[in-house]
Amino acid sequence: MRSRVTRYLLVFSLLLMAVPAHAHTGSVAGGFVGGLEHPVFGPDHVVAMVAVGLWGAFLGPPAIYLLPVVFPLVMAFGGVLGILGVPLPGTEIGIATSAIVLGLMVATAVRPPIWSAAVVVGAFAIFHGHSHGAELPPGADAIAFSAGFVIATGLLHLTGIAFGLLACWPVGVIAVRTAGALIACAGFVFLSRLV
Amino acid sequence: MIARIGIAVVFLFASDAALAHAPFSGAGGFYGGLLHPWFVPVHLMAIVATAAVIAQQGSPWNWSMHWHAPAAFAIGLAAGFIAIACAYAPEFSGEAVLAVAAMAGLLTALALPLRAILVATIATASGAAVALDSPPDVISLREAIVIQLGTFCGAILLMAAALEGASRLHRGWQRIGIRILGSWIAASAVLVLALQLAQ
Repeated sequence: MRSRVTRYLLVFSLLLMAVPAHAHTGSVAGGFVGGLEHPVFGPDHVVAMVAVGLWGAFLGPPAIYLLPVVFPLVMAFGGVLGILGVPLPGTEIGIATSAIVLGLMVATAVRPPIWSAAVVVGAFAIFHGHSHGAELPPGADAIAFSAGFVIATGLLHLTGIAFGLLACWPVGVIAVRTAGALIACAGFVFLSRLV
Repeated sequence: MIARIGIAVVFLFASDAALAHAPFSGAGGFYGGLLHPWFVPVHLMAIVATAAVIAQQGSPWNWSMHWHAPAAFAIGLAAGFIAIACAYAPEFSGEAVLAVAAMAGLLTALALPLRAILVATIATASGAAVALDSPPDVISLREAIVIQLGTFCGAILLMAAALEGASRLHRGWQRIGIRILGSWIAASAVLVLALQLAQ
């Protein structure tokens, strides 16, 4: 009996949570939440961001924190290009290629000097930033939107870093390299759709 | 058991922020001004990034070495409010706050040792930009002064809280977290600044 009452309470509380469904989502979607959703709902962005974190963790310090610091800053530069309407040819191809290259770096356990890793990650960050910047909404929601997608990008990096820390163990190295291979495969799929 | 946990989770997600005074609509006077820097995202970013730059240079409460930066921030705030009181309302105040946030965020991400005069200049610019971008939206002079006083206190409190919080983060990963936060603030501010300048 008590269990049934608890279930009714659960259903009732879920009903209380219901909010109106808007056809046009307005400022909230254009603001912080919209910014958070932007990278998360783009699978090509997601796999590349996670790959950056994975590679950083795989390379160890200082790459583990340098790459997530470099990426948003260079991404902002790409975003400025997108906002100013400066054309960047092959933006989507660049994003798909970033997943392939970064995935292969992890899968083949490439350990370049830190500066060259930062250059590779920074170069791809321009494509991702350009894509985000071109879709930045004008008006008061811009700051919330940009903060949202920068934070979402950072959290995707942290997800990759958290998974990449498994490389401390021999079995974890296999798991991380396999994840890198899967990311590279996903990149090939994205690229095949574009070409 | 699962259903009870479900109800608890549902209520957790259903909860909303408890606001003693709404930050904007309905909030006026001293309290409206007090909450202003805490709830305007650009001001929050600029002040937090400035506090992070100051904190990276050492303990903010080491007054013999670092008293100047928080004091410079307060002087910048006061100067900005005096300028508004003298009917000086620049059109570029929003862009100025974004520029300060971008600069302070970039310096936080780089985590370089800086000259004291440079840190003080950034703090002054941050205070002045926040003040100039907070003109009270009232006609009465008395009410405007009360709101400005509230904004001054709110900005000082935010700076003190951010300084205290950032200066307590001594461990390696905590320092890295501050640098990542700085890069996020710089990236967001640069993007919005570019958007505003492009329009």
